[in-house]
Amino acid sequence: MARQSVVIRLAGESGEGVISSGDILTQAAARGGYWTQTFRTYPAEIRGGPCMYQVRMGQDRIYSHGKEVDLLVCFNQEAWDLHHDSLAADGVVLYDETSVAIPDEYRERARPVRMEQLAKEIGGSSRAKNMVAAGAVCGVIAFDTTPIEELVTVRYAHKAGVADANLAALQAGKDEAADLTGVMEITHAAEVEEDRVLMSGNQAIALGAVAAGLEYFAGYPITPASDILEWLSAKLPATGGITIQCEDEIASLASVIGASYAGAKAATATSGPGLSLMSELLGYAGMAEIPCVIIDAQRGGPSTGLPTKTEQSDLQHALYGGHGESPRVVIAPITVEDCFWATVDAFNYAERFQVPVIILTDQGLATRMEVITAPDLSKVEQWQRKTAKDVEGRAKRYELTDDGISPMGLPGEPNGQYVATGIEHDEWGHPAYTPEVHTVMQHKRWSKLDPLTNGAARHEYYGEAEPDIAVIGFGSTYGPVREGVDMARADGLSVGAFYPRVLGPFPVEKVREFTSKASRTIVPEINYTGQLARLVRGEVGISVDSRAKSDGLPFTAEDIYEMITEAAQ
Amino acid sequence: MSTTPAQRKPADYKSDLKPIWCPGCGDYGVLASLYRAFAELDLDPTNTVVVSGIGCSSRLPGFVTTYGVHTLHGRPLPVAMGVKLANPELNVVAVGGDGDGFAIGAGHFPHAARRNVDITYIVMDNEIYGLTKGQVSPTSLTDQKAPSTPWGNLETPLNTLGFAVASNASFVARGASFNTKALTELMVQAIEHKGFSFIDAMSPCVMFNNTQETWKELVTDVDPNHNSADRVAAFDLALRGGFKMGILYREVRPTLNEKYAALIERTPNSDVGAMLESFSAAKGAAIGKPTV
Repeated sequence: MARQSVVIRLAGESGEGVISSGDILTQAAARGGYWTQTFRTYPAEIRGGPCMYQVRMGQDRIYSHGKEVDLLVCFNQEAWDLHHDSLAADGVVLYDETSVAIPDEYRERARPVRMEQLAKEIGGSSRAKNMVAAGAVCGVIAFDTTPIEELVTVRYAHKAGVADANLAALQAGKDEAADLTGVMEITHAAEVEEDRVLMSGNQAIALGAVAAGLEYFAGYPITPASDILEWLSAKLPATGGITIQCEDEIASLASVIGASYAGAKAATATSGPGLSLMSELLGYAGMAEIPCVIIDAQRGGPSTGLPTKTEQSDLQHALYGGHGESPRVVIAPITVEDCFWATVDAFNYAERFQVPVIILTDQGLATRMEVITAPDLSKVEQWQRKTAKDVEGRAKRYELTDDGISPMGLPGEPNGQYVATGIEHDEWGHPAYTPEVHTVMQHKRWSKLDPLTNGAARHEYYGEAEPDIAVIGFGSTYGPVREGVDMARADGLSVGAFYPRVLGPFPVEKVREFTSKASRTIVPEINYTGQLARLVRGEVGISVDSRAKSDGLPFTAEDIYEMITEAAQ
Repeated sequence: MSTTPAQRKPADYKSDLKPIWCPGCGDYGVLASLYRAFAELDLDPTNTVVVSGIGCSSRLPGFVTTYGVHTLHGRPLPVAMGVKLANPELNVVAVGGDGDGFAIGAGHFPHAARRNVDITYIVMDNEIYGLTKGQVSPTSLTDQKAPSTPWGNLETPLNTLGFAVASNASFVARGASFNTKALTELMVQAIEHKGFSFIDAMSPCVMFNNTQETWKELVTDVDPNHNSADRVAAFDLALRGGFKMGILYREVRPTLNEKYAALIERTPNSDVGAMLESFSAAKGAAIGKPTV
């Protein structure tokens, strides 16, 4: 019987064709009408070290990368050693016989594929290994290779010889495992009527920023956020915008603040180490009330930590990092699709509330490829900052208003001159340190965010709205939690998940309502100390069970299902 | 600059805030020179932004009627770059002290210079940390005794002009607070210069390092025969030290703004719709590096 979805894992040495095989299969699955999600692990070094590329494809929307591997492709012995434990009970193995030895008990469902040899025979080098591997995989899952053939033809339109060699390698791969053809047959994809796109979380953020009206982007290379800098460097000039690689993360955010002071919608992207360097400026932007967007693609910490692994350990830093108490908004997108919309929200919050807004993703979400429904661009709204242009007479930059939002004079506006400053200041922006001024200004800067806890922020619920077993998480864990909740509800359990998309300011009342009937509240998150659990306890005053883990890997749906089942006992 | 009837006067740039500087501070002379330079250039205050860091001298934007950004310690240059890149029409002047610019902020200086960001950077150099009450700075003399160097400064001072020339600053000059006429003229030329212009403005701290009388005796003008278009000659002059006043180096080359404008000009227009289309699953979205 054909399967609804399959999990394919390719593994080998970095630089051997594992990544390109995975890319080919992912593109082909997307083009062939399947929902797809990928998951990659790779070493921090450019050459050498084990890497892995997992593609999960299926007829229904995919929310997580999958746990048990249906089809494992081993490029080398280490790949077998590291990954055979993940094989499903009926999982199939394809391997290059010249470099991999498979124990006898697996021989039934394992087939040698002469990746290296065939690639050399057909293409004259080992470069076509990726195509041989892709062909073999397509055979086993009975996937019509037309999309791959089309992609190859388009890509090598001007290099007929290369295209032919690739197509021959693809066919050769299919022939290699001919007797396993269709043993992992995947259900044919339904006709796709809507517009779908295939992109990573980083790309969705970059695109969302352009949709939101981004005019200035500054960044400093850092894994796993560099894609955003690179993509915008290529694309932003086409819209008249500027992208610049700065000398460090401090200069990146400083120049973003300068650009925003001059009226531009501006953003930077980084990972934990960069966010640490930006902390002082983050406080400045909050104090001087300068809109800006900071994307933090979290990675394993502390310090240099695990640059290529995932973690959600910057939550407290994003919320509170920096000296003094400086207001900011923290928003955590939950899927690749939401990366787009959260970025649009982030720019609008920044402009509306004149604050820095941090978008928290993580390595898993930032780098995975996912097929998503194409964002409807007609639904994108752009909030325009309150400036001095409508003010009669001289504008008071930090005027005390009912909603805490003051007119921000933009250079060029004739009545708006002021000095933005990190020193405590009066309504005119003049330095003032009296007890009265500091009291009233701190209140102004924080209370202007109240709309976000009074309905302006969108949050995500899944499953029951007032469940017996409540699950609270943030960001990238949404996918596996959603699938885990489904599994538990299929068992008849009363379960629901709440994902605050805006974590700062924290939606205390929403959590209180959501957990009002819960006998247990569990909080899965990828960090050591249970930062979200601590936040919920501290802010809401309820008891929760932390299910934090810090192995650098995303949760699987099965992990979540086990947690829920355990909590139900 | 021809004078028109509507020409602004130095007083037009003077804000209501009184400077917080000590009586006799060199920064008064720098501020007075800046008012005069702005007036001579008749800069529109609404189109002018003065950016500063942290320190005594960095309070300057508050005393000017233009737009201003009082940033963090050491960060005026990247903030000023952002302002200028976002709006090329603005006149952008960054100011600060020697500690701000050459200790905590030194990492930004060579990059602003080599990028040729079209801004003017005036460092009020008093060879001391004044606001924190007299510790040594990167430009303090060797053996100088100060609260943090009670046995004398063990370090060699930074050669700021040499640093600027080596960093590819396209305008490098030195002036002094006690010669406002010459300093005003340097500021006028620096602001008119298209590109990154740096003025080391010697500005004595009367409270913690009163060098005014010594400096007045030491300063001499740059030799009139010095070729300011010759970068090697400029570096030579900078390394020889002494207190040479005037323009050491001046070069016209494209500014960062001009380079971005040219890049944008030659990039075919696109929009978010077309960018979204490039990710189309049905058409075979590209994975990997974006194409240009």
